Amino acid sequence: MVLRSNLTKTLNAFLASLLVIILVWISVLRLGVAFDFSFVVEFRQRIWQGFLMTVAISLAGFVLSLFIGIVAALLQNGKILFLKYISIIYINFIRGTPLIMQIYLFYYIIGTAWGVENRFLSGVLILSIFEGAYIAEIIRGGIQGLDPTQLEAAKAVGFSRSQTVKLVVIPQLVARTLPPLVGQFSSIIKDSSLLSIIAVIELTQTMREISALNFRLFESYLFLGLLYLCLTIPLAMIGKALERYYNFEG
Amino acid sequence: MKNIIKSKKGTSKIVLTGVLLLCVALLAGCAKSDAKKTTETAESTSTQETETSQVTEKSEPLVVAMELAYPPFETKDTAGNPTGISVDFAKALGEYLGRPVTIVNTAWEGLIPSLQTEKVDLVISSMTITEDRGKVIDFSDPYANSMLGILVNKDSDINSAEDLDQKGKKVAVKAGSTGFIYAKTHMKNAEVIVLADESACVTEVAQGKADGFFYDQLTIYRNQQRNPETTKAVYVPFQDKDMWGVGVQKGNTELLNQVNAFIKEYTANGGFDELSEKYLHEEKQAFKDLGFKWFFDLT
Repeated sequence: MVLRSNLTKTLNAFLASLLVIILVWISVLRLGVAFDFSFVVEFRQRIWQGFLMTVAISLAGFVLSLFIGIVAALLQNGKILFLKYISIIYINFIRGTPLIMQIYLFYYIIGTAWGVENRFLSGVLILSIFEGAYIAEIIRGGIQGLDPTQLEAAKAVGFSRSQTVKLVVIPQLVARTLPPLVGQFSSIIKDSSLLSIIAVIELTQTMREISALNFRLFESYLFLGLLYLCLTIPLAMIGKALERYYNFEG
Repeated sequence: MKNIIKSKKGTSKIVLTGVLLLCVALLAGCAKSDAKKTTETAESTSTQETETSQVTEKSEPLVVAMELAYPPFETKDTAGNPTGISVDFAKALGEYLGRPVTIVNTAWEGLIPSLQTEKVDLVISSMTITEDRGKVIDFSDPYANSMLGILVNKDSDINSAEDLDQKGKKVAVKAGSTGFIYAKTHMKNAEVIVLADESACVTEVAQGKADGFFYDQLTIYRNQQRNPETTKAVYVPFQDKDMWGVGVQKGNTELLNQVNAFIKEYTANGGFDELSEKYLHEEKQAFKDLGFKWFFDLT
């Protein structure tokens, strides 16, 4: 039975993929442009460097934005009103304006005023500030989802404050926020492509430079999409697995 | 047993649906290309018909792509309508051919692809004729030429392209421009910073993030005039002239010949001189004072 249902799954997944590939293929044929991907071999070193740069920026951005997000969420839920409003202004400004405007603002105005010249560092900072606001919202949602009666129950069984945090709050917070955080990491990888406008030589900028030299615009962007999928599909699978894991556990 | 039969049925049902879907998709694809073919034949018969009656053929619009971000050649007026030398040039061409002109604003990187995919008939966007571009599209005879200049920071000690090509120096260029191509092929030691638009390049230089910005002499002149406190211009010639041409789809010789014939006539009738007077009166005088050749002086 299990074998059969696996077979059905595989077969259907195969048919679905085939359908997508055929549709893309028909579109390409109707376009009537001959594709030539030989540039990938020619520029493999630069593409690889761009790919590594995207991974490095995304990883550094994720760590930093996680830190910013946790601090912002704690401040927003905290008792100090002044800091609470700073956090609210930050989250609303970032979530309410497009990333491209923030990149220009932070790089050319704020970055220049404070002497941040390094493009990689600026890129990581801008990306972290942007994503931090979204992560703050994920964490705030996790905190709000906690049932207050649990805290009373913990008190009733004689847990200390640190025990309550360690044994009641943190495990639930992790279960609630980890799957969406993985999804946010995926967004960071995609959003990092916008840093190309301040000439951070990551994957998208590398492809733009290559296509500006050889005019293989379609091939460059198709291949670019494929490379981003190599990063985001595994992440999506991890997110799904985590979701299932915590659902079973809960 | 019952269960197995059920699941077997289920499987075959799903497989059947999948195969059906595939067939439908394929058929739809075929049907669409068939439909395209029939419309194509319909079109070709209609053009045959209109050869005798020229009125209908005249109304077929001439679609011209340009990036409206390069004043005063291609830009928008305050109401958002296309304006500039290339726009007037395109309109004059349309008048000559008896076809109404439609201007399509296209980002620089999309200009050549829009010709390749036959979305537009022509590209008139101050585009330099290069060997690489000539591989994918055809170019008309040159109608203008330009030289590269360098915008440098006020405090900089750079006086030539060689001064800029040193370890630790940074050159800002606009992606896909001739300045970009020059920097990518000739700058061996300097770091090349590739940006999406002209204003970002100027900002980089004005703020000292980049040491120089390569673009044509006119743009360098205008940006230097606009930022006299932070920038200066270097005009020492360091490369061959860039010849600008009209881009045509590869193999469309009929339109290419028409465009070439028009350029010849328009130049002879002083059309470009009129456009210079209209849009670049002051700059033309400045170029004369600096001893530069004018854009439309192809001798």
